[in-house]
Amino acid sequence: MAMQKPLPIATDISRPFWDGLKQGKIQLPRCDDCQTWVFYPRRHCTHCFSHQLSWQEVSGQGTLYSYTLARIPTMPEFADEAPQAMAVVELDEGVRLNTTLVGLAEDEIEVGMTLAPVFAKVNAKGDTLLRFTAPNRETTRDETPSLEAGVDGKKQVPFDDGPALASLVTGKFGDWSNELTIDQELVNRFAELSGDDYWLHTDPERAKRESPYGTTIAHGALVQILQSRLKIPLDFELTGFSTMVNYGSDRLRFPAPVPVGSKVHARARVKDAEPTRKGTQVTLEVHTHVVGQERPSVINDLVILYR
Amino acid sequence: MTGLTGNAAIVGAAQYKPEKYQTAPQMFHLEQVADLAARALADAGLEASALDGLVINGPHFHEASVFVPAMAAEYLGINVNFAEVVDLGGCTPVGMVWRAAAAIEMGLCEAVLCVLPARMAPFGPDEDPSWMAKAMRYGGHSTAFGAPEAEFDLPYGHMGQNTGYAMIAQRYAARYGYDPRAMAKIAADQRTNAQFNPQAIFHGQPLSVDDVLASKLVADPLRVLEIVMPVAGGAAVIVTSKEVAARTRNRPAFIKGFGERLAFKSPSYAQEMTETPIGPAARKAFAMAGVKPSDMDAAQLYDCYTITVLLTLEDAGFCPKGEGMAFVREHDLTWRGDFPLNTHGGQLSFGQAAAAGGMSQVIEAFTQIAGRAEDRQLKRCDQVFVSGTGGVMSEQGALILQGS
Repeated sequence: MAMQKPLPIATDISRPFWDGLKQGKIQLPRCDDCQTWVFYPRRHCTHCFSHQLSWQEVSGQGTLYSYTLARIPTMPEFADEAPQAMAVVELDEGVRLNTTLVGLAEDEIEVGMTLAPVFAKVNAKGDTLLRFTAPNRETTRDETPSLEAGVDGKKQVPFDDGPALASLVTGKFGDWSNELTIDQELVNRFAELSGDDYWLHTDPERAKRESPYGTTIAHGALVQILQSRLKIPLDFELTGFSTMVNYGSDRLRFPAPVPVGSKVHARARVKDAEPTRKGTQVTLEVHTHVVGQERPSVINDLVILYR
Repeated sequence: MTGLTGNAAIVGAAQYKPEKYQTAPQMFHLEQVADLAARALADAGLEASALDGLVINGPHFHEASVFVPAMAAEYLGINVNFAEVVDLGGCTPVGMVWRAAAAIEMGLCEAVLCVLPARMAPFGPDEDPSWMAKAMRYGGHSTAFGAPEAEFDLPYGHMGQNTGYAMIAQRYAARYGYDPRAMAKIAADQRTNAQFNPQAIFHGQPLSVDDVLASKLVADPLRVLEIVMPVAGGAAVIVTSKEVAARTRNRPAFIKGFGERLAFKSPSYAQEMTETPIGPAARKAFAMAGVKPSDMDAAQLYDCYTITVLLTLEDAGFCPKGEGMAFVREHDLTWRGDFPLNTHGGQLSFGQAAAAGGMSQVIEAFTQIAGRAEDRQLKRCDQVFVSGTGGVMSEQGALILQGS
């Protein structure tokens, strides 16, 4: 689940800068006495310490002073941008700012390249960040995670909003996850780890002769925990919580076997979602199936606690 | 010029062996201060009553955020004539040592404990450890309302040291060219040194240039083996007057020169991010000591990243600007080589115990001068250059240490 990216909080000193961005304008303080441009905004001139500054609009044209592609997210909530194109941009006025590059392929990025501003609206309130790209490309972006269809089409639901949570409950299962092959090697490793090395799981020769399935089968518990490796699509995202823990299961059944060598996938629905004294409890009914099989191999009413 | 006369010296040291946080002992910071003090005094052959000065870290001190020196002096059981908190990130140890030397030369005190506890403190019975996760999440970045970095950096994901140092390296590459093998050689040569230092966290694990180049790219062009590993640890040194030094048991390392320079927090606002603050700091230190880079028998350069070492070699004057890569290629940087660099392994191979990490460089300089570096002892070691670096090359300091 995505955490919220930090947002700038304007101060009395900086407000014209952020308000300007909302209107598609870049305004910077400039010293009336020595004409020095100042960024980030301050009430004094960093060259002569004069307090006679006025806000002036600039074009936002500049050059790339330096950059890096962060292959490991600098903060978990920026994982969606990986690799993050972190940049220092020097505006034509000489000031530099920390920002990110958008709309550029990795091999297009070069220190010294000319850049133009991109006004990136990041929420419904209209808060706008100043990003950069090559000239004559996009000049505005809407990065708003809207309630109905955000950047990745997910509904954002505050984790403590009872009515919104109730609206998530549905009888209809979502789309299938990715598929995962359960091979003998994986089953053997689980047998070793759990100590459950019953021949029905680990002895293909004997299983061929004696098993009702004609082959070894995976442990039910293994198929259950492999849900962690299946990306199960959900059309919503809870926001605003600080921790999320697996609280256990209300129901766990293994109605059908998973013969070793089969592919499995899973889908889920929200069975229940409500704020409680302990936090918000969301019950996901997760069904794991052998691909193509009607009957689920695992039914898990998984309870997740958000606080 | 004004400055130190060079009559104060490091006479004793103590340093916890770097360990992984998960397995290191947990101790209150006050307890670590007392333990490190006792060990450093014993190393010097001095009695506790000799101490009359205290320099300590303020930020990240576990049991207090204000009145730290008074609390630590009381806990130790000493009275001091000089108390100081140093808040310079990785440059803190270098900053501590010259402040102690200056106080001694001014006659304020005669024996100063400079101490940096960096093991974790035990959690209280009802303590919610999540505050720590939160504190670590933003590292050295302030999230306070009105903090420029909270307002202008964090919303863009600019956070942590890796990307800052990577951007410095990238700009260096654009201005002067870049040889990834030379950069990797810095890490590999230092790792060779660590094979002769049983205290180093990577002792027993040699590393080749190819290993470094095959390691994961973290932020272009920096790879994971060019980045320091955080460890639990802690360190202390004792700085005394010449008179007190005369009755200690090791060859003292006299503090002959120092320099310090701060100009920004984010290198984006540096005049030129590839010309680092160690330049002016080192020039001041060399001038004060009346020596030059080529007089040094060893260099213990702060090495949070390989790029830090490269830029320090250039800006401190060991080679001309833009020729650092060639310098690294042409010299053997191991303790047996023609340019002994970070002879203990550097923090890259010794481990970085938070702000105490830079003390490993100070202590290695003292250890080499005192002739006590055992398997990695330099044949001749009378003069050593030490650097410290805090933030993203934002605060740097230099020391010139000399044997008597």
